[in-house]
Amino acid sequence: MSVLQGLLWSLVIISAVAQVSIVSWHRDLLQEWQKADRLRQELLQEQTRLVLEKSTLTAHGRIDTLARKRLGMKDPDHTQVFR
Amino acid sequence: MATEQKQTEAGMQRWRMTLVLVAFASLLLLLLGRLIMLHTIEQPFLFEQGEKRTVRSELQPASRGMITDRHGEPMAVSTPVVTLWVNPQQVDPQKMSEVAKDLGMNARDLVRSVEKAARQGRSFHYVKRQVEPELAGRILKRRIAGLYGDDDFRRYYPAAEVTAHTLGIVNIDGKGQEGLELAFDQYLQGQDGSRKVVKDLMGNVIKQLGVDAVPQAGESLPLTIDLRLQYLAYRELKAVVQAHKAHAGSAVMLNAKTGEILALVGQPSYNPNNRATLRPEHMRNRAVADLIEPGSTMKPFTVAAALESGRYSPSTPVNTSPGYKRIKNKTIRDHRDYGVLDLTGIITKSSNIGVSLLAHDVGPEAIWELYTKAGIGQPGTLGFPGEATGSMPYPEQLDELRLATVSYGYGLSISPLQLAEAYTSFVDGCRKHVSLLMVQTGTQPCERVMSERTAHQILDMLETVVGKNGTGKRAAVEGYRVGGKTGTAHKVGRSGYEDSEYTAFFAGLAPLSDPDLVLVVVVDAPQGQEYYGGEVAAPVFSRIMEQALRLRQVIPDQPGEAQMLQVAGGSR
Repeated sequence: MSVLQGLLWSLVIISAVAQVSIVSWHRDLLQEWQKADRLRQELLQEQTRLVLEKSTLTAHGRIDTLARKRLGMKDPDHTQVFR
Repeated sequence: MATEQKQTEAGMQRWRMTLVLVAFASLLLLLLGRLIMLHTIEQPFLFEQGEKRTVRSELQPASRGMITDRHGEPMAVSTPVVTLWVNPQQVDPQKMSEVAKDLGMNARDLVRSVEKAARQGRSFHYVKRQVEPELAGRILKRRIAGLYGDDDFRRYYPAAEVTAHTLGIVNIDGKGQEGLELAFDQYLQGQDGSRKVVKDLMGNVIKQLGVDAVPQAGESLPLTIDLRLQYLAYRELKAVVQAHKAHAGSAVMLNAKTGEILALVGQPSYNPNNRATLRPEHMRNRAVADLIEPGSTMKPFTVAAALESGRYSPSTPVNTSPGYKRIKNKTIRDHRDYGVLDLTGIITKSSNIGVSLLAHDVGPEAIWELYTKAGIGQPGTLGFPGEATGSMPYPEQLDELRLATVSYGYGLSISPLQLAEAYTSFVDGCRKHVSLLMVQTGTQPCERVMSERTAHQILDMLETVVGKNGTGKRAAVEGYRVGGKTGTAHKVGRSGYEDSEYTAFFAGLAPLSDPDLVLVVVVDAPQGQEYYGGEVAAPVFSRIMEQALRLRQVIPDQPGEAQMLQVAGGSR
């Protein structure tokens, strides 16, 4: 009787400790995940910002005016077209 | 105990002691009973209430798919933003004034609106939607009680008004309202996620109880549009619309061999990134949704019907004298008496009498059949919201007069896009179905409109239009053989055709040795001295085509061949 009692007691103690540690582990993992998710969100922001920046900088009209004004380029004359 | 009490009795009677004991015991019993009740009968209710107070169901918005051009250049991108809101019950309205300062809002208005919401017992009030994430982060760092930020997305269109009509627009909740955003809303939208969490006072998740749905980002949608061609078509179209003070204009460029839409532009346009300046009348996608009477641009199809009958060749003479013809009290006119023209000359000079004589000779059935195969009067196949279905009278309805008018493009209607699609049939006699999505391309077989031989003969005729005796010589592109047809249609007003309102067209292909592009330019109601298709639309056609052919690195045609053919065409 007392052996069984002792066994049950120790089982109760073990499961209580296990529960506490599992809960703590769950919270740690959750925090890790939250950090990762925040990082993902930040990277997504960064990525869309860069995509937009790139498409603005490489816009056809902008390249056209830059080529003409800064680089002094021009359309080829018709006499220069290879025929 | 009782014996003790007996011994220490100081006039206290036994029954009083019993009363106190019974009272305490019953109080204890009451508490026990309550405890049991709470744990059994009321437990589900209390549990639910407890959960309600701690567990939050959190919505995780999915990012909307990107729309890209054929080379993967972004045309519509969703970028993360933050929606700031307050719980008016929890927040101190006076603290809102500093928030307003950061957001560049009127402090007094914001404080007042929050106070009003608090008085009305609301527990949710938007401060500002779609705030830049960095700014929102700075504001949320102040940890003002009752102020919250939710993740959200905002749609951004890098090419702004250049692609506005094609892409359409989404509303503030990210739902498609117009154009492709509406047509492919489901596909682009993705699936919002949601999960159950327990949060602490600071809003940190401390426990995740379950995931109801994992957020799934929307798929990206690659279009057949080439953004470079789209830009240049838009620029040239805008220039001509401004120069001629026209009401509107549109241009459609197709890949002549596949029917892919490479550019689809309209004027006037709008900036989809700035919702404050939206005007509904500017949001119409004219190239797809507007119906026009194509006028003379239909004449090549009438001539094709004549060639297909087998009784005509490009050099068969037709007498168009005296330059006018009376049918049922209506007079059909040419600009002047062209005398005897062959079929090529009818196209070169755009003779109304010529094509009506041809139409009467081949009969309404043949005309109707060829026009219908070319897609006239057929519903659009793009699935675009508001896509127009043109009209084409049935053969039984084509009496002598209507047959004549139909032969030169009046009394029927199509959209500029359908006109461009019809012109793809001159490449090899087969009409290619237009496509706007990369995945749609080539899914439908082309529709045979005329024989390959007839198509080549028509192409040669179209080249003479751009030659030095033609009506569209300003559409010429040096170095390339270009063919096309001008058109000038009277606009329909309240009481029939307007005398002084016109729509100017040019529809054509290049380079003719191996057609690569089909381009249709429509300018609606140009004001001033110039209003003919050959004067207004043809120069734009030339400018767009020249740059587009260069951008696509199309090899120029042999010069000798082009000049020889122009001489041959012009000798008549």
